[in-house]
Amino acid sequence: MRRGVLILLLGLLLGAAGFAGFYYLGTAACRDLMREPQPELAWLKKEFKLTDAEFARISRLHAAYLPQCAQRCQHIEALSQKLRELLTQATNVTPQIQALLAERAKTRSDCEAEMISHFFAVSRTMPPEQGRRYLEWVEHETVLRRQAMEARHHVDQAGPMTDEHPMHHVQP
Amino acid sequence: MDELLREWRVDAPLPPRFQEQVWRRIERAAARPESPPRTLLSRLLGGALPCPGFAFACLAVFLALGMAAGAWAAQRKTSRLDSELGLRYVQSIDPYRAGNSAP
Repeated sequence: MRRGVLILLLGLLLGAAGFAGFYYLGTAACRDLMREPQPELAWLKKEFKLTDAEFARISRLHAAYLPQCAQRCQHIEALSQKLRELLTQATNVTPQIQALLAERAKTRSDCEAEMISHFFAVSRTMPPEQGRRYLEWVEHETVLRRQAMEARHHVDQAGPMTDEHPMHHVQP
Repeated sequence: MDELLREWRVDAPLPPRFQEQVWRRIERAAARPESPPRTLLSRLLGGALPCPGFAFACLAVFLALGMAAGAWAAQRKTSRLDSELGLRYVQSIDPYRAGNSAP
């Protein structure tokens, strides 16, 4: 009986060691990724199988894009703040409110255009096949995908945001 | 020895209510439940497991199960981290997704 218990304990110990060993080895790549200064970019490198040179170019593009993006966001936020102030006093859509709405919409549109432009630039930096995959992925994951507004009004599935989206026809 | 035993007489009186106590003890013994059958685990630990062949097989099974569970858990963690990092990348470039916590 005592020998049986010892063998059982040894079995459990072996099982635990097997679990820990395989878990440790299996998550080694994750830990390496998380140790990078920018894990999300390191993930991009791994996911789209980028070379060091491609990764360096994409990192530069990314670093150049972010401050411009932040600037546009701040501008949109300032416009929204002004709009909120005007709306608290207004009872109608005044020309000033209309102008602010238009300016905010224009800035948002510029923001999206810059973002798409960034996606193209990044995809061109990648090998062609990976570039196409990247564009498909960002289209699906970002604001470019079919949004609540279109879905609410039952826009056809084959609308401009899905299969017929111009980004699908781009050869990076 | 046999002769001596035949000649031996016990003169000491029996304690009071001796017979009654004897019957009571018999009743108690009859009413006592039988000892439970040995469980599968105790039979395994006491009988089969100490056999070398069976013991090695059991150890191998434990090890294989542990490794499989470890690989599965690692796979799950890796895919979860992949999704998280993908989302972080998207949130870093898409201001409209920056506030969203789910992909």
